[in-house]
Amino acid sequence: MIIDHPLLGPRDACEFVYHGDASLIDRPDPAAIDAQERFHEYAYLRDNPAGEHRELWYHEYGDRSWLVVTRNTLTHEISKVELARDVALVRGRGA
Amino acid sequence: MADYRLTAAPALGGYHRAFDGVTLREMPDLALVALALPRGGEAAATGAIEAAFGTALPESGHTALSSDGTERLLRLGPDQAFVLMTRSTPDAEAFIAARLGGAAYVTDQSDAFVALEISGPRSRAALERICPLDLHPKVFSVGDVARTVMEHLGVMVLRTGQDSFLLLSARSSARSFLHAVEVSIANTG
Repeated sequence: MIIDHPLLGPRDACEFVYHGDASLIDRPDPAAIDAQERFHEYAYLRDNPAGEHRELWYHEYGDRSWLVVTRNTLTHEISKVELARDVALVRGRGA
Repeated sequence: MADYRLTAAPALGGYHRAFDGVTLREMPDLALVALALPRGGEAAATGAIEAAFGTALPESGHTALSSDGTERLLRLGPDQAFVLMTRSTPDAEAFIAARLGGAAYVTDQSDAFVALEISGPRSRAALERICPLDLHPKVFSVGDVARTVMEHLGVMVLRTGQDSFLLLSARSSARSFLHAVEVSIANTG
């Protein structure tokens, strides 16, 4: 499988480590009243879609960037690759 | 207290071997200094780097020679850059830090790496068996750099010429890395 890195171009998937659902970017507010329930969902509950899935890939044997890859779990077709940093900033996370 | 005198030794003892169409040799006197751009101080850091080396910090995947040709700036990613130079004395970090005036963080990485140069008309074919990068000169041209994985070992690959590459890998696994490259050369017939 080839991942088209936004900065570096096409790279073999062997350079990357898969780190699961990209919803991990949206960490719940620990000060919220329902924080315990939200963190339980955040840590343990995942959708398991047959089709399009947004997921985190870490370029461990590359530039060590985190990517959000939109991949079809049925065909492995990759339709979008973004820097996780950009995704997180748009969602008001990180600095 | 005893007066210790330590002498630096190359990781592979100055390895140098000629194969059919490929020459593989250790580059013992290279120094590698990591540059990190401070958050919020990126513009000041890139300005200081350009002033110090007479060339702008290149884009990811590319390198640039300093104006006097003695140092090469390697950009591996947005926050990851190195200065590569020939220097046998263990003062590379101070040498670079003095020229940047604190505008970027510097860390000496020289003794963490082993450097192998693979050259000759069959060098690309020899690397193709273990290197997942596309090394065709149209994609990876002279002066380009990339970090990748060969036989489970992280490697920085720098194309130094049409038929020559510099490979930087961890010194702690230098012999395993050398073995991987030697086997790949032997398997390329």
